[in-house]
Amino acid sequence: MIRDALAALRARRGRTLLAALGVLAASLVVGTSVTVGYSLATGFQRSAEQAQLPDVIARFDEQPRRRIDARVSALPNLEARSYRFEDLNEDLSAGLNSTGKGAVTTVFNGRRGYKVVEGRDIRDGSTGEVVVERGVAREWDLRVGDDLFVEEHGTLRISGIAVSPDNVAFPLASTARVYVTRAQHRRVAPNVALLWLSDPDKADVTLAQARSVTFGLGKLQFITRTGVEILLSQAAGIVISLLIAFSLVALLAAGTMLAASAHADVQRRLTGLGVQRALGFGPGRIAAQQAVESALVALPAALAGIAIGALLVARPAAELIAALNELGPGATLLGPLTLAAAAVVALVVAAATWPAWRAARRPPVEILRGGDLAKRPRRRTRASATALQPAARGPRTRGTSPSFGEAGSALRGSRAAGPHGVGAPTGRPTSSDSGPHGGGSLFGLGVRFATAARARWFAAVATIAVCAGVVTLMLALASLLERLREDPGTVGKRYQLAVQLDSSQLDAARALPGVADVGERYSIDAADSFRLGEPIRLVAYPGDHTRFENPPLAEGRRIANANEVEVGLGMADALGLRPGSTLAAQIPDGGEVRFKVAGIVRALENDGRIAWIQPDKLLETRPDLTPQVVVRLEPNTDPATVTRELVNLGASLQPVGAAQTDNAAFLAVLAAVLRGVGLAVGLVCLYALIQALTVTARERRGAVALLRATGADATTIGLVLAGVAVAVAVPAAIAGVVLELTVFGPLVSRLAASFASLPLGASAGEIALVIGGLLALSVLATAFVARRVMSEPIIAGLREE
Amino acid sequence: MTAPRAARRAFAATVLAALAFAACGDDSPPAAGGDSTLRSTLVDPDRDGFLDAGPAEPLTDRGTPSRLGETLVTFGQLTDTHVRDEESPARVPFLDRIGTPFTSTFRPQEAFSAQTLDAAIRALNAQRPDAVFLTGDITDNAQRNELELALATLEGGRVNPDSGGPGYRGVQQPDSADPFYYRPDFDAPAHPGALAQAQRAFTAEGLKAPLYPLVGNHDVLAQGEVQPTEQINAYATGDELITALDPELLDQLPRAEIDAQRATAALLGNQFFLPSVDVPADDTRRLVGSGEWERAFRRERFDYTVDLTDRVRAITVDTVNRDGTSRARINPDQLQRLDEQLDTDRHAIVFSHNPLTPEALQILDRHPNVVAAISGNSHRNRVTPRGRYWLVSTSSLADFPQQSRMFRLRETADGAALETWMVDHDGRGLAGISRELAFLDAQGGRPQRFAGERQDRNVRLFVNVS
Amino acid sequence: MAAVIAATGVVKTFGEGRAARRVLDGAALHVQPGEVVAILGRSGTGKSTMLNLVGGLDRPDAGTITVAGEPVTGVSERALSRLRRTHIGFIFQFFHLLPELSGEANVLLAGRVRGAAPDAAERGQALIDRLGLRGVARSLPHQLSGGEQQRFAIARALVNDPPVLLADEPTGNLDTRAGAEVLRLLRAGAEEGRAVVMVTHESAAADIADRVLTLRDGRLIP
Repeated sequence: MIRDALAALRARRGRTLLAALGVLAASLVVGTSVTVGYSLATGFQRSAEQAQLPDVIARFDEQPRRRIDARVSALPNLEARSYRFEDLNEDLSAGLNSTGKGAVTTVFNGRRGYKVVEGRDIRDGSTGEVVVERGVAREWDLRVGDDLFVEEHGTLRISGIAVSPDNVAFPLASTARVYVTRAQHRRVAPNVALLWLSDPDKADVTLAQARSVTFGLGKLQFITRTGVEILLSQAAGIVISLLIAFSLVALLAAGTMLAASAHADVQRRLTGLGVQRALGFGPGRIAAQQAVESALVALPAALAGIAIGALLVARPAAELIAALNELGPGATLLGPLTLAAAAVVALVVAAATWPAWRAARRPPVEILRGGDLAKRPRRRTRASATALQPAARGPRTRGTSPSFGEAGSALRGSRAAGPHGVGAPTGRPTSSDSGPHGGGSLFGLGVRFATAARARWFAAVATIAVCAGVVTLMLALASLLERLREDPGTVGKRYQLAVQLDSSQLDAARALPGVADVGERYSIDAADSFRLGEPIRLVAYPGDHTRFENPPLAEGRRIANANEVEVGLGMADALGLRPGSTLAAQIPDGGEVRFKVAGIVRALENDGRIAWIQPDKLLETRPDLTPQVVVRLEPNTDPATVTRELVNLGASLQPVGAAQTDNAAFLAVLAAVLRGVGLAVGLVCLYALIQALTVTARERRGAVALLRATGADATTIGLVLAGVAVAVAVPAAIAGVVLELTVFGPLVSRLAASFASLPLGASAGEIALVIGGLLALSVLATAFVARRVMSEPIIAGLREE
Repeated sequence: MTAPRAARRAFAATVLAALAFAACGDDSPPAAGGDSTLRSTLVDPDRDGFLDAGPAEPLTDRGTPSRLGETLVTFGQLTDTHVRDEESPARVPFLDRIGTPFTSTFRPQEAFSAQTLDAAIRALNAQRPDAVFLTGDITDNAQRNELELALATLEGGRVNPDSGGPGYRGVQQPDSADPFYYRPDFDAPAHPGALAQAQRAFTAEGLKAPLYPLVGNHDVLAQGEVQPTEQINAYATGDELITALDPELLDQLPRAEIDAQRATAALLGNQFFLPSVDVPADDTRRLVGSGEWERAFRRERFDYTVDLTDRVRAITVDTVNRDGTSRARINPDQLQRLDEQLDTDRHAIVFSHNPLTPEALQILDRHPNVVAAISGNSHRNRVTPRGRYWLVSTSSLADFPQQSRMFRLRETADGAALETWMVDHDGRGLAGISRELAFLDAQGGRPQRFAGERQDRNVRLFVNVS
Repeated sequence: MAAVIAATGVVKTFGEGRAARRVLDGAALHVQPGEVVAILGRSGTGKSTMLNLVGGLDRPDAGTITVAGEPVTGVSERALSRLRRTHIGFIFQFFHLLPELSGEANVLLAGRVRGAAPDAAERGQALIDRLGLRGVARSLPHQLSGGEQQRFAIARALVNDPPVLLADEPTGNLDTRAGAEVLRLLRAGAEEGRAVVMVTHESAAADIADRVLTLRDGRLIP
């Protein structure tokens, strides 16, 4: 059977190649999506496991090791523990590179919490060596054996390069981390404890006990593994989950296209099927034959496509992973890729075999008869052709057409009169353009051709619509990246300007063109009443704070009144807060204020020790507090212009929050990945269009041949094909945009909702771009197919009966 | 023919009973946990901080083994039950966060003391001892209502653990912002509604066997350390509950020299201004006066003797220092009485709250009929040999492992053997929550290893006279 | 008078290798305006091939063909299109009407191709009337009888007023009465000055022809 299949494929070389290209294009998309998606989705888990990331990291004021260990070892659910001393803002330099924000970590015996990816770990008890974080090594081009100057320790030799996923990599994070042994740094007491739990799901139980034994420790701060995961994702600007979601959507597009193309292929081959059936092959064998043929095409194409797709995006994906201090999937990627290839092949084979099976089950005569031009009245034998008339046509002379003899210049008499007839018309007949079956233009004819086969038209529209939706999504993502680039590390912040402005000018500010909203923002650093740790930041807006700051909700709900508070995750962990519990804060130069916790939010600022309230209680105890005025701009407004206006009102500009990370380089990498995937999807679009046109042209081969026989030249045929293309492209474009606005955008936003609230609707410009782009692709496809059509001898099409 | 069948049934039953009896000291398939640890234990094999049912723990022989004979007597020991009025203002839970030596001033499970006692009583009842000794620290803060609550639980019937106003008012309230207290509504593992449940009346089973009690320091001294004063009583029956400790205060107290008694006394005398909340006052929180415990148990004193059988004598020694502190005090006349009571040919077992002082032990050394000196106070399971006889210490219901002891004294060829094994309570309802929290407590019995080692728990202690 | 159709030395081979068949081997055809030439023979053999080559539907392997003085062989597809538009009208055995258009629209379609005569629409309507099809002008092909369909096809072929009509088995799918009408129309077309070449296997069709040719050994002989 394989030999037969190979022969059959060889016979249709051109079409086989085209089909293979289609599978390749779709597999390309699948390959890129799977690579990016899998790497990112599993990146944190993988690196956390390999680096043995602790389940809880506790930071505190330096404590003698024995004392802190006595407390830590009493905690329940503890599998292992180790300690570190972290020294921040140390000078590091190597060659021409240097930084004043080095974090020199002295590691005590026990688990390290990082993975050495090159070289070897520093040995307890030895001196003169240092392990460097991979981000620093990449940025400064350091290798094992190089020298690194570390403040207070002099020049140390790099023994190894390590990855620890408890923060993003330098320079995305501003601190550069290096590790030294205790022998290197004597007389140092730990200020960090790393805890590994027997059951990580019960981390909150351990934390509850940890809180109760930490009285007097000072500057206490807990980060759980979940907290780290959030930190990483947020530092990366939430685009990680967006990319994963985007990959899923692209996969969907590819799958749809594959199914449609395989289905179309069968339609083409209907005659061959009929002949086979006439020769006595059973439907089962035919279907099996079809399956083998399509498998022979799909397998190499899928493997090649997926491999190319994976390679295409390998570099950007690896850089992404490196920036997140995560480990790439390495060889484990082969598993999902192979699975994806198998899925593609299975999909193609199934999509090709099923219609073949269905078609083959019809009687052979029916199959063979499947031409497209009218030969004789349907469902009537030749003999009764003139005998039966549909009643709707009204009375008519019995079957006899008026004799030609009465023709000449005279026009028909009343014998042929009927409801459609014009009676005994003389003079010019009216143009029948407006009739339901009237002429219309050639372009319209093309449209009719396209929509004649409903199912096939629908499949083509669906495929291209999904692709168009994906492209629209990509455009929306791109502009999102732009916004993030200008506004780094401010996930959840919805305002762009912050000024000092007299309250009397607020209305005037609100009225400025380009200003969407203006609000007052109070901010004060308070201590928790039980001095458990570092200061907490209270941020207060009158009314609804989500207009300006919108950190994603992790638990509970938003505040509803002046007695409630939304606390950041970091604070919730440190103080053991849950929705319903109480927060007590000491206001500097004020008294104690208490709030009921309404919800817990994921917020990065101040390491998550931040909370949102309404200002009433704050102002009761500190009526002297003055707010900042924050301004949210309309989309596509130039901040400089608005700033000028505000200054005219008497405002003085203030910086909008410190950037947590330097996103520019990272975003560039992300853009590269998006472009890679987007290009593949664009190719898929083009292919689908060509596919639709080719199939239509093939099905209406007779009609096209007739048109050419009637004297239609290449341009005319092109016009008809353009009609076909537009009939597919325009509804697809509209459907695609609608898909993006109603399904893809919200879906992806929801997937990213655990990190940020960002609407992903496309703007008018982006929509116009997509529709325009599709139309342009239509022109391309039309030209391509028209040329192929015209090169065929006309008689071949006419002979297709 | 029914007679032969009945006979066969009776024979089978006897054989089974005999097997069961013989198997009492051996391994048997584990039950669900919360039972005699000869049948199953509670362990945490995956070290996640939560107890699961574990395998039975058979008796380990200690001393020089000898051929075992008949059982002379069985008895149980309950100790340090610390029945508590957790809402009382006369407490200092805010000291707990300082660490040692104040770690017993607050426990996450402190609201469930009566229910835990009831569960322990049920477990002991199931063991059917001939007698039960309650070796002191029956209550936690020497309060009258605690005394009554403990008695009611021991006797059985309807028990009302609430005090002050209806419901719970205390440091574990849901609206407490203090992260150093376990607040069951929010802190993991959360048990919303448990506090309210703990205030509701319940029906106690009551101890079935005859009860022989002792008092401990916590029964007559405030927080087990300080003699009751009018000022303390004023606080106890007052309406102000101190909830927190100003962190700056800590800086004023040099840690190394904290004397529990002095600090407690100072705080209860409120020499500092500390944050507090208003609570409903309750007169029954008055601290007990002298002799009140004796009257409650209808005894003249807590030094007494019980001849459990004609072969076994139990002698109790009151070690509480009523002037204050938790350290043992035994007067010379008590020692003399002890010496006299030990002068018998019965096997002698001595009970006390604190472990006996060296002087008392020297007296015991002189009497070859002494089998064991059994005590509590340390909240720790411990069995140490002393010459011919044994010193047995038992864990409390206040801290993990929340176990009581069963004993069986048997004749041997060379003297006697005292079998003892731990009994877990069944952990139903609030008692289960209590044990779960007790196990998690980072200041409690788990890190302090109160459960002891195998040889401190289920052992067969041989006492050889010859 | 110059021949409207002039074909000489036409060679056409079908198939490959051992299956190759030289259907036309140096065939020639000359048709004058107003002449009806019938090529007789069974359907499917080379006679249709000659017709297709004259109409530019296919290309010969060798030989030259001109229609109305314009070459058909060796010219670009665009030139062929123009030729077909203006000089040639086709009529097929199986009618080849587009099933989604009405009879009328099918006729007017020929007038809508780019480069068609500007008065094609008028002429189309007139033809519909002249051929007695006004009553069924709005009907779809599947609602029409064979004869009606073929008459629409003839009207379509005549829309651009071509000097040449090529008919391939025009009566092959019709009953005798409808067939007779079609033949009459073809004759009428010749009367109007057109050259009509008809391929047929029916002797009745040959009756209306001025000349009858048969295909033998790859050549057309009278």
